[in-house]
Amino acid sequence: MLENIALIKEVKEFMPTYQAQREGLELLSKLKLAHIGVKRVAQCSNEELFYVMFIRAMMSKKDDIIIDMPYSIIHNLADVIKLISNIELLNNQQKNLFILDSLNHKIRYNSL
Amino acid sequence: MFRFIETIGDKTIQSFHSIYEALKFTFLCLIHMVNPRSYNPAMRMVLIKQIYFTAVTILPLFIIMASIFGSIIIGMVIVVATQYSLQDNIGSIIVTFVINEFSPFFTALLISLRSGTAVNTEIAIMSVNQELNTLKEYDIDLIDYLFLPRIISGVISVTFLSILFALIMLSSGYLFTLFYMGMDFHIYTSLLLNAVEIKDLIVLLVKSIAFGFVIMLIPIYSGFKTANSYSAVPISVLNGMVKLFIAIFFIEVLALLIQSI
Repeated sequence: MLENIALIKEVKEFMPTYQAQREGLELLSKLKLAHIGVKRVAQCSNEELFYVMFIRAMMSKKDDIIIDMPYSIIHNLADVIKLISNIELLNNQQKNLFILDSLNHKIRYNSL
Repeated sequence: MFRFIETIGDKTIQSFHSIYEALKFTFLCLIHMVNPRSYNPAMRMVLIKQIYFTAVTILPLFIIMASIFGSIIIGMVIVVATQYSLQDNIGSIIVTFVINEFSPFFTALLISLRSGTAVNTEIAIMSVNQELNTLKEYDIDLIDYLFLPRIISGVISVTFLSILFALIMLSSGYLFTLFYMGMDFHIYTSLLLNAVEIKDLIVLLVKSIAFGFVIMLIPIYSGFKTANSYSAVPISVLNGMVKLFIAIFFIEVLALLIQSI
């Protein structure tokens, strides 16, 4: 997963691999997910993959991050509050976050 | 009749369009190859891994095959040369056969079967899984990150392995000459050293580079053009391999023609 996360910084900013991977590892550690750094896609849960995708998006220089239907990525997501708080924990660059979802899932966001 | 001519015209236009697209892709890869901006840390990491998978993991099998083929084929060459009273030219026959022809050709076949198919399948599956589109969404250049490391690794690996194959073949060939002809080691080495010319080494290098380039380029292009379905993956690999083997034979024939001029 670390290779996946580090890729954008390596390509866009010519950041050395070890440095880009260390940044990725720091962000994974914030969620206590440092152990998935060495895992491959098939070995990770949907939730872990979601956070990896989010961290990868955080690595890009773009100011806006759009999360398209999080429930389609994490099928068994019980508590959206936990997801949002984890996203806020990672969002140290204060990027603009947009969550797009269908009306079918409206009830799931009522607790916000 | 009119429909028949129309079909021929349509096929011709399609063929020329495919050739144009393939040449454009080759040109783009060459442009990226000489651009220092292409060599970012991620690309270099992929390049190292590709060289490891293409050239290092194959070494045990490669060394065994080179030793077996070396002693058998050099043995056969010596027997035939002796039968036709060509003992005086044995050195140049061995050098021409091993360095110019057999080593690069056999290495190219082995790497095509092993790495060419793997790369074609990998790129085709990435294309079907929309992974290539994800990389494009992040503005990551596919040529720099995916294609260029594989092409360069192909060139480096095939060149290195061809030289190694020739060295092992010539060394194992000595065993045959020792047991069959009772030839002294110094006679064998001086026979070969006197026969080797700079031209032979240039031919080996140029052919290996050309083989290495097409061995990766054609499977990559074939995988990249895969239709969006899993059933298209084997078709892509099949087409890629057929085109690759045609290209290998084309290079081999072209090299023979150039050498004969």
